[in-house]
Amino acid sequence: MEKITPASAVSVQNLVKQYGNLSAVDHMSFDVSAGTCFGSLGPNGAGKTTLIRILSGLIKPSSGQAWVKGIDISKYPEIVRRHIGVVSQAMTTDLDLTGRENLDIYARYFNTEKKMRTRRIVELLERIGLTDRADDLVATYSGGMRRRLEIARGLIHRPSILFLDEPTIGLDPQSRRVVWELLQEFRQDEELTIFLTTHYMDEADILCEQIAIIDHGKVVVLDTPEGLKKNIPGENIIDVTIEHKKEILSTENQTELPHIDMLTSKLSGFTFVQDVSQKKLETRSSLIALQIYVTNGVASIPVLMNQFQTWGYQVHTIGLKQASLEDVFIHYTGKSIRKEEGQKVNFFIGAGVPRKMG
Amino acid sequence: MGNFFSFTHILAFVERDLRKFMRNPLSILSNVLLPIVYLLVIGNSFQGTLKKLPLGVVNQDQGPFSKKVLNRLNALESGPNTIHLSLYSDAKDAENAVREGGLKGAVMIPPHFSKDVSRGTMPEIGLILDNTDAVSAAALEQAIGEAFSYLHVDTISIRPDREQPQLRLLELYRKLDYDASIVPGAVVMAIFMGTMTTGAFNLVMDRFLGVHESYLSTPLTKGELVLGILISGVLVTTLVALVVLGAGVLLTGLQVAGGLSSFLAALLIIILTATGLLSMMCIFLARVDHPRIVGLFGGFLNIIFFFPSGAVYPVESFPDWLHAFSRINPESYAVHALKTILFKGMSWPALKEDLLFLSGFMILMMLISTRIYKRTL
Repeated sequence: MEKITPASAVSVQNLVKQYGNLSAVDHMSFDVSAGTCFGSLGPNGAGKTTLIRILSGLIKPSSGQAWVKGIDISKYPEIVRRHIGVVSQAMTTDLDLTGRENLDIYARYFNTEKKMRTRRIVELLERIGLTDRADDLVATYSGGMRRRLEIARGLIHRPSILFLDEPTIGLDPQSRRVVWELLQEFRQDEELTIFLTTHYMDEADILCEQIAIIDHGKVVVLDTPEGLKKNIPGENIIDVTIEHKKEILSTENQTELPHIDMLTSKLSGFTFVQDVSQKKLETRSSLIALQIYVTNGVASIPVLMNQFQTWGYQVHTIGLKQASLEDVFIHYTGKSIRKEEGQKVNFFIGAGVPRKMG
Repeated sequence: MGNFFSFTHILAFVERDLRKFMRNPLSILSNVLLPIVYLLVIGNSFQGTLKKLPLGVVNQDQGPFSKKVLNRLNALESGPNTIHLSLYSDAKDAENAVREGGLKGAVMIPPHFSKDVSRGTMPEIGLILDNTDAVSAAALEQAIGEAFSYLHVDTISIRPDREQPQLRLLELYRKLDYDASIVPGAVVMAIFMGTMTTGAFNLVMDRFLGVHESYLSTPLTKGELVLGILISGVLVTTLVALVVLGAGVLLTGLQVAGGLSSFLAALLIIILTATGLLSMMCIFLARVDHPRIVGLFGGFLNIIFFFPSGAVYPVESFPDWLHAFSRINPESYAVHALKTILFKGMSWPALKEDLLFLSGFMILMMLISTRIYKRTL
């Protein structure tokens, strides 16, 4: 049981998981410090779930190494499983059991002694706000209640690392917030290391101290949320939709569209403009949507408004925002995180429950 | 590998499965009802010997021997009740009735039948049969053939014919109705149903719903998981099989030979069979993750294992290839063992082969199922 770095709760080196020609995890390497919250952020199919399944001993890697609490996951998965809690993306509590029964049976898989078990169940049910529903069948719970129960179940044996795969997927905004608060509380009170995957930027931003942006099975960039935001050009982003006046006068005539490269080059001439990118619009072809990364957003807006006017463009909409992780993601991967892949269907038996590979 | 088996782990897993099963009463009900319905329907529709076969009679002879023929047919109707007679005056009408399915057959007594019997000039009676129903046709041919033999003998000697060998029938066991004779089959069917709806089926449902991820990420070992699945499945299946056995005994009026020892031996056979079949299902369904496949697979396997087991028909009468299969069919040994215990009473020598086969089958299946169980996703 070789230890890598005492401070590392999770350590991954050159990890690969291959499904035929597809590399779900493609030579990933990173460390997660003990007691921190680490987020793996990426769209569906990026390899986040595969990564978490490897780290929790649910699937074997094709090559590379991973250590959890310094224990080699390939050599000693059963020992690793004693130290971790796992909250899967799919709801995995038994519907035909009550909330209390789910917790009790799960605790027994970890040899938790009866007295401690009973005390811990009462405590956790209280903390997740399900004491009054503890003896109802889980089948009667809402999605948010079931997710809270799954988090409690993952913590029933007091693990030192909690793995969560998309913990708030499919929940309403209020339930998501409750889950975030719970995770923050548990992390503080139980000195927990949290490793979560998500494709929600706000979730990663609020919960994580370190974020790895993952795409096509690779870690594209790894930094703190602030560090990631700093890496993109400019502090603010101006979203602007413009249209050339000539186009407005003769919408029939679509041949003389304003030259976007010339416009980008003109904008880049300003010292406060750090970068310009064009956003695709599907509604009207004569409209141009631009994202302009600027150093001082408030001061830049009137200057840009005047300039567009001078160049013969009418400004339809203009907005200023702080750079977000969404912008970070677009900056590094060149695409929006919300773009999702389709699910596969078994030819012989139909759809059933969609399986997740990424 | 220090703790390959932890009873705490196994008991927790068994409790989970049992609680889930008990909260699905429909599943329990179908497991119990299907074998009982089978027992009632098959037991009362086959009935062993055939009865009330509709037979037409056209008598064109008014002589004494045609009356004798009619008397014997009447005796066949009122005695063993093999036939149900209808008299026809026209031969064509009777033939049409056979063709149209109203009669299974028709006896034609020609005009000079009595004279031909008296003269000894090859008297003939016609028998028209609907031979598309092979079972009824064969039964009618045999029953009527026997009824018409020795028509010229008027008296029956009270002294036994010392030159004629006499057949003395000695029945070793209590007389058994057909429906009672298929009670062991119904119990074996209940075991099969139990193995299809517990154990491996729970595994498939867990995979289908993604629930398996929850216990695969715990310290439960492969051995504990397989044992947990088998123990919960065997408990439920044994209970279901005992209920079906009890219901079968009550419904058919079967008088079980032997006492407590018979019950314990039957229990042992049920447990061995259930464990073997459950392990076999765990092998077959080791990689299945959709309940639809279990449904298809279950119906298919039920036919393959049940009918060649000797539950409804003696295996000795099967063609060679099917007989060979019945020799390796665990249900054949279970049916044979239960028939021996319930109808003949406990007899270890008679059960030796069944016990050896079922124990060997169970151990082999358990080893293979544990070996191929996939502990990862």
